[in-house]
Amino acid sequence: MSAALYKQMMRVNLKGFLNYAFGSAFYIFLMFWLYPGIAKNTEALDDIVATMPEGVGRAFSLNGFDSAEAFISGEYYGLILVLILAIVSVQLSTQLMARMIDRGSMAYLLSTPTTRVRIALTQACVLVSGLLLILGATTLAGFAGKAWLLGDRYAFDGGRFVLLNAAAFLMFFAVAGIAFLVSAASSDEKRALGLSGAIVFGFYSLDLLGKLGDGIAWMRGLSIFSLYRPGDIVGGEAFPRARLRAARGDRVSLLRGRHTGIQTEGSAALIRSSPAPSAARNCTKRAA
Amino acid sequence: MLTLEHLTKTFKSGKGIRDVSFSVRRGEVFGFLGPNGAGKSTTIRHIMGFMKPDRGRAILNGMDTWKRQGEVQSGVGYLPGEIAFIEGMTGREFLEFLSGMQRVRDRERRERLIERLQFDADTPIRKMSKGMKQKVGIVAAFMHDPEVVILDEPTSGLDPLMQKAFVELVLEEKARGKTLLMSSHSFPEIERTCDRAAIIKDGAIVTIADIHELQRMQRKLFEVTFDTADEAAAFAASGLSVEWMDGNRVRVAVKGDYGRFAEETSKRRVRNIDLFTQNLEDIFMDYYDRKGAGA
Repeated sequence: MSAALYKQMMRVNLKGFLNYAFGSAFYIFLMFWLYPGIAKNTEALDDIVATMPEGVGRAFSLNGFDSAEAFISGEYYGLILVLILAIVSVQLSTQLMARMIDRGSMAYLLSTPTTRVRIALTQACVLVSGLLLILGATTLAGFAGKAWLLGDRYAFDGGRFVLLNAAAFLMFFAVAGIAFLVSAASSDEKRALGLSGAIVFGFYSLDLLGKLGDGIAWMRGLSIFSLYRPGDIVGGEAFPRARLRAARGDRVSLLRGRHTGIQTEGSAALIRSSPAPSAARNCTKRAA
Repeated sequence: MLTLEHLTKTFKSGKGIRDVSFSVRRGEVFGFLGPNGAGKSTTIRHIMGFMKPDRGRAILNGMDTWKRQGEVQSGVGYLPGEIAFIEGMTGREFLEFLSGMQRVRDRERRERLIERLQFDADTPIRKMSKGMKQKVGIVAAFMHDPEVVILDEPTSGLDPLMQKAFVELVLEEKARGKTLLMSSHSFPEIERTCDRAAIIKDGAIVTIADIHELQRMQRKLFEVTFDTADEAAAFAASGLSVEWMDGNRVRVAVKGDYGRFAEETSKRRVRNIDLFTQNLEDIFMDYYDRKGAGA
């Protein structure tokens, strides 16, 4: 890693990171602010959800409204945060490699005594730092929101909330890794952006579609996002070990799907472990 | 110091460079000439180790520039043909950042260069004109006092005064024993600074020429206006190589024997002498044409 490059890249991108971090923190505040109103009508809301087709509730992560983190895991971690982080992963990884190659500023970096691998590693560190920053701000905002807006009147499990953020981080560590690999392998900014965007949002759509209908549930198996289940964490399914293993890049693990309120009962889900962390390593090799 | 061995790279478009070989000696200023799209920048990118050649290799300081990228670069200055800085910085911030990457602490040389090229380094790069960016690029190439400097079209965007300042800088570096390679499509610029030059066209080296020899080969055209047409006719008949004649005006080509020209001219009453210099461009175009006719 090159300290000078890391420092400079963080400086250039800090404003963007802070914008997303602030936006995410603000949104989570908003959720906490809304929650007391929702908590009053938990039963009525649960009834409404129960009248919807099962797939819809699954797809839009309606995880129940009986605790603050269940509400947040559904409404924020299940949808909006995923979109925000997907955009950050695709955009930032394209900016850090393909754009610099395309525009020619990479030539300046390579003209200094710094190897290609070191430059790619440094840029990858910037990407991971950005994700950490955004999720760190989100986590802190969650605890602050709990302290200021909820107090002791409403149920909130801090440990699970942290796990929720950790899962989101690991998930997007993998997603950003794929986007970074694409970015490092292309010399054209637009192509890198298009390709990594298509992969990431393609994954997202496959997961969403798979959740909507039981007949096409297999689609989820193709998507890395099927590994990300904020509902499971708040539902007390702990932190699925497979997910951790997946983040480490293990091969394939077969998990039995369990009833969690949003999962279909007894459906066996073949979960492919993500190739992404190793992809992140590979991309530096590719660049070499 | 720098050796290119059969460097070959073909792009998807079919363009590229073919079998480019030449070597630059230590302390030499080497020109690299050719029209746009001839392969100058591609060759330079190989020299800098940015591209992997399909065949052949570039060796700088005894190291393969692609395989040992990151090592070769210490002690090398580089000015890209199309300058792209990192966004959101001022000139000085960029130079400071690059010094950090080059692991050079000394700021004095940088400040001297900034002063010399006369620009406000604290201007944000996005507000800079092309010439100003070029100046930042030149400072970046020289500020760490490298042994070897690779310059891709260094004077593009500079006004004549700054071009002169740049030529002086190059000559100074040469006097300090540095090795320079500069590409250009401007012949006078190469003529003023280089010892030798390679000429590239359509991705292949056409020739490698000694600039001083070319200068000696250079013909100068004098157009002399005499008082009378008779004097002009007598002058034309004196054995000088006459290019053109009209009334009392004669245009002769002189190559080397200026004494004889002066002698013949001074015998007659002269109203005016005009000088036309055949520049290196014409000489190089002769090379091109000869090659073109041969193909």
